[in-house]
Amino acid sequence: MEGRVSAVNTPAHTRLTRRKSYGRNCMESPVVFWQTPGHLTTLGTRIPTSRGAARSRNITSKVDPEQLALLVKHEWKLAYVTPLYRFQHTQLKLYSKHLTAFILAEKQQGVAIEVGLEAGFKVTLSTIHGMAETEEDAETVFIQIHSKPTFGADALKPVWRGWLTCVNGDGEYLRSLPPDFVSLPLFCSSGSESLTSLVRVWFERTFDCNFGSLFLNSTTLNWLAALWTGCHPTSNIRFLKLSWTMPTQPSLDIMYTVNPQDAWELWNSIHTEDSAEGRIHIDEVQRFMNGLETHFFRHFKIYLSAGTLTKVATSLGSAHHEGKIKIGSSDYIDTLLTLLTECALHRTPV
Amino acid sequence: MALLAPYTKIPEPNTATILLVESEEKFQSRLADAIVQRENDAIVNVRLARRLPLPVENSETRPRVDLVVFIVNLLSEHSLQVVENSLSHLRSDFFLGKVCFMVTDARCGALTQERLLSVKKLAASHRCPLICAEHQTEDGVAMAASRLLTLLKVSAGLSPVATTALYLSTLTRCTVPSELDED
Repeated sequence: MEGRVSAVNTPAHTRLTRRKSYGRNCMESPVVFWQTPGHLTTLGTRIPTSRGAARSRNITSKVDPEQLALLVKHEWKLAYVTPLYRFQHTQLKLYSKHLTAFILAEKQQGVAIEVGLEAGFKVTLSTIHGMAETEEDAETVFIQIHSKPTFGADALKPVWRGWLTCVNGDGEYLRSLPPDFVSLPLFCSSGSESLTSLVRVWFERTFDCNFGSLFLNSTTLNWLAALWTGCHPTSNIRFLKLSWTMPTQPSLDIMYTVNPQDAWELWNSIHTEDSAEGRIHIDEVQRFMNGLETHFFRHFKIYLSAGTLTKVATSLGSAHHEGKIKIGSSDYIDTLLTLLTECALHRTPV
Repeated sequence: MALLAPYTKIPEPNTATILLVESEEKFQSRLADAIVQRENDAIVNVRLARRLPLPVENSETRPRVDLVVFIVNLLSEHSLQVVENSLSHLRSDFFLGKVCFMVTDARCGALTQERLLSVKKLAASHRCPLICAEHQTEDGVAMAASRLLTLLKVSAGLSPVATTALYLSTLTRCTVPSELDED
């Protein structure tokens, strides 16, 4: 089976996952509506009810600080990726060349004579070592596109960045993949949409995978709010900002900024440190959010739960429900990426 | 506080009454229009409510309710909470085939999966059917209306075939796969 390179191999991984498929998958979404109710994904409906509290870990000892600096301070657009077929971390140089050629070819399509300043592109793919947490996690791949100005020998200008990662992915699922597949379920990109789609198309053609947009639902955002608030004693989160959109006519956006100390005291009253070895249960998260919502109701008589939670932000980072994140500090990056990897795996169709 | 009961009033001939409960009031009026326009044979009364219990004032003139539909908008936690609270204001006879759950926005990509799951569990524990409806297109509303009418005719006893509400509900009620029941 290993020797054959054919399309026959591809559906094999569909069958290997334990759940049956209703035959609806791999469809690019018209905006948000693509999911059938009760839609089956790689992880099925196994939604974890508890997770470890965020712990500050000195990640700079594991990961090159320069590479880490590339990940923070940018706004990343999230997407999920199905497993890559025959992707090899040792071939990154070759992939860089192919991707460069592909982007150039696509950009020059229909142009008789090369015009414009952005005549050349240089693509570099590199591995960020040390991001992986478990044995099963594949190493993170970072993609950078620089434009070469035609005139003058100026330095290369970075125009696009993206990375594929997997942190603490579901072990059972990752082990069930056939040996030729590499799962890097989370794709983050920052830069022009046209370049993003070119990179996506190249990956889809080369590694027979599929990209789809990743939304962060309110449960994920609730988790982030609670996990980040729990970090306050060790690393000052400065503020806890929550945004809601209410379904009124015209729609009403509510920004709710909580003093970090107050938020932490509320969290501390709900979550007791010594219970269950630093695990946080979903009920605690729900009670924390309910506490914040009740407080708001007491003052403004508005049920926040009637609206949609759209954004959670602290100084450690921010997350938007349309699938945009910003990493403010590298200290708790693995907690964030673990959560996002899990979301991506939940969205990946079977 | 009076519970809403299904059998305390005498039914009108060739008449069925459906009660749509939705806290947001976004979908129910369009659905009501579609239901009324679709039905030609029988007289269908559609009653709208934001939550249960219903007000005491009109309880005398209110017709007998044959089917209660709880509409849950999956994008909002509040609408689920309202439905959960409303359920306790129904007499238990209603759950013998005269209650139905309907969810909207189930196809939305930004959906919280847990909420759909908890609605499913709610419907399964009350032995009620769960219908997924598309509220953004005309076709979707019409389809939702026709599905509700099918249920309504049976529960109001208007169905020419000898099907009872209890019998239908044992066939259509929502079940949650056993693997999800573990916790």
